[in-house]
Amino acid sequence: MEKTLLKREDLQKLIDGVREKGGRFVAPKTLARQVVYAEVDSTEQIVWDYIVPRNSIKEFFFPQTEPILKFRLMKEGVEVEDVRVEPQRTVLFGVRPCDAASCGSVRKIFTWDFIDEFYTKREDSAVIMTVACTSSDDECFCTTVGVSPEGKEGADIFLKETVDGDYLVEATTDKGKAFVEEFKEVFTEWNDAELKETANPEPIEGVDIEKIVEFLKDRSHYDSEIWAELARKCVGCGACTFTCPTCRCFDMVDEGTYIEGERRKNWDACQFDSFTLHASGHNPRDTQYKRWRNRFMCKFNFYPVKFTTKGCVGCGRCIRVCPVRLDITEVMIEVSEAAKDV
Amino acid sequence: MEKELREKARELLESGEVSVVIGYGWNRRKTRTTPVFIRKPEEAERLIFNPLCVNNLSVYLTRKYPDIQKLGRPAIVAKGCDIKNIAVLIAEGQLKREDVYIIGVRCNGVVYRQELWKGELKPEIMPVKCHNCDLREPHIADTVVGEPVEFTPPEEPVGMVFDKIREIDAMSPDERWQFWMDHFSRCIKCYACRQVCSLCYCERCITEKNMPQWIETSAHPRGNLAWNLIRAMHLAGRCTFCGECERACPVNIPLNIINQKLVLVVKDAFEYRSGYDPNTHPPLIVYDTEDKEDFIK
Repeated sequence: MEKTLLKREDLQKLIDGVREKGGRFVAPKTLARQVVYAEVDSTEQIVWDYIVPRNSIKEFFFPQTEPILKFRLMKEGVEVEDVRVEPQRTVLFGVRPCDAASCGSVRKIFTWDFIDEFYTKREDSAVIMTVACTSSDDECFCTTVGVSPEGKEGADIFLKETVDGDYLVEATTDKGKAFVEEFKEVFTEWNDAELKETANPEPIEGVDIEKIVEFLKDRSHYDSEIWAELARKCVGCGACTFTCPTCRCFDMVDEGTYIEGERRKNWDACQFDSFTLHASGHNPRDTQYKRWRNRFMCKFNFYPVKFTTKGCVGCGRCIRVCPVRLDITEVMIEVSEAAKDV
Repeated sequence: MEKELREKARELLESGEVSVVIGYGWNRRKTRTTPVFIRKPEEAERLIFNPLCVNNLSVYLTRKYPDIQKLGRPAIVAKGCDIKNIAVLIAEGQLKREDVYIIGVRCNGVVYRQELWKGELKPEIMPVKCHNCDLREPHIADTVVGEPVEFTPPEEPVGMVFDKIREIDAMSPDERWQFWMDHFSRCIKCYACRQVCSLCYCERCITEKNMPQWIETSAHPRGNLAWNLIRAMHLAGRCTFCGECERACPVNIPLNIINQKLVLVVKDAFEYRSGYDPNTHPPLIVYDTEDKEDFIK
């Protein structure tokens, strides 16, 4: 396909066009002193200079809470009403490559042994417009886990910023191509503008992902003393998992009155002590470091082995939000180091 | 002060008086501080203290951490504000004074959040608690390290939190409702506020009780309101305004406003300030025939 340009001044037309057709337009904007992916109706709300928004894009396909059925107690018994998801088309603009790469990873779990339409229908109808990163911070580590600041994975449309603040457009999927075609009046001919330099966070020294996976796969390391040493300080909140683009565990709860209510699907976190608590009272992950070990295992062993290597996309959110600064990259270094001795 | 701190820690570990020193250390890049658990005398060198040492480490003294308790008697590096929480834990029977060796640190204030640090502690990056601190000289400790600090807190407390409280008090009930619903709408129910709080030490939080379900766990407006209100009520008269919950909140809910308002209400109603005396029970966990009844109208 020929190169196209999306001028910043034309972006409003795109927002209006998407909204007029009943869609929602999501872009980075400021909320409570943080940059977040959120719905916008004007380019004036969009933040252009940001590294990684506070939230990931998973919440647009996998909301933090959603009803999956409704029930009501009747004389004849319980009446159950199905909830059908009829998603609004969501156009996500300014998505970082790490977040876009996470979609394929989350999709794997929701299409594994059961097609979870609550997720797939939303993701199928979404258009992801990735913007390559031009800046990074100390917490960014995508290049350490095989994701690139100009990675196209998961993007329907891949954008690169020009020095004028416009975008070089590349439609990378059929969905993306159809979208550019649908709104062709918004896109113009490529003007050979100079591109901004892409950020390039250095891969973290001392991390060897293959060694980590190997170490984790060896069951004799499951009860290794290093886990308590590395994760003792974890306080067991869900900040890391809830801001993580690839964490996708959920819980189901029934809420309502004794007469009627809803069954809801809510985000859950393996860091919570009740996550693995059995009805008997037994808890196989009875202390916090074991719960943290699980998260690390999930990212670099269970998930890559079962589904995809993108268990972690290196966005760095878990490091930024951790109240005790438990830095996953430091654990990656330590485990790489421990793996050498094996 | 770090030299003094490390020497003390080494001495305590060598003599066997304590088995672990809970303190602050650097992260790998030396850009942020993080809790460390020092168990060998030679590792005492890792201990540091500077304005980035924001965490209230007293959370690790609670029963939420059986694996830390198993390590043996702890010493803890604590600022005056952190010691307040230890005092409440003692007052509430969670800990005996002799169960912990307190290494009090004289403090010139810390940063509100570590990412604000640009190499210098300026008033604008300090939390409100530091501007009004009357415990820069630790009040309960087995040993105190650091140079004496000369600081007199203002007679009337100052800071954004107090300004905001006045502003909210002046609002109509509808406006106030809207103000809080807007903030709580961002809540993601990660419970970081609860987890970093050393006074939220219940092994089973009310939000985890589901027979019946007291608090809706969904992160919808009703569930978020219920959670934030119940937590506030459970901390009334106990909260020391250490600010950990607001610092830990990944979505910037201004919890310090709630906390300070509670502190003011309790002070007004019971003439009680939590965290100063480990021998006095917080007013809302005891019954006293002398309690004021002027709120019954």
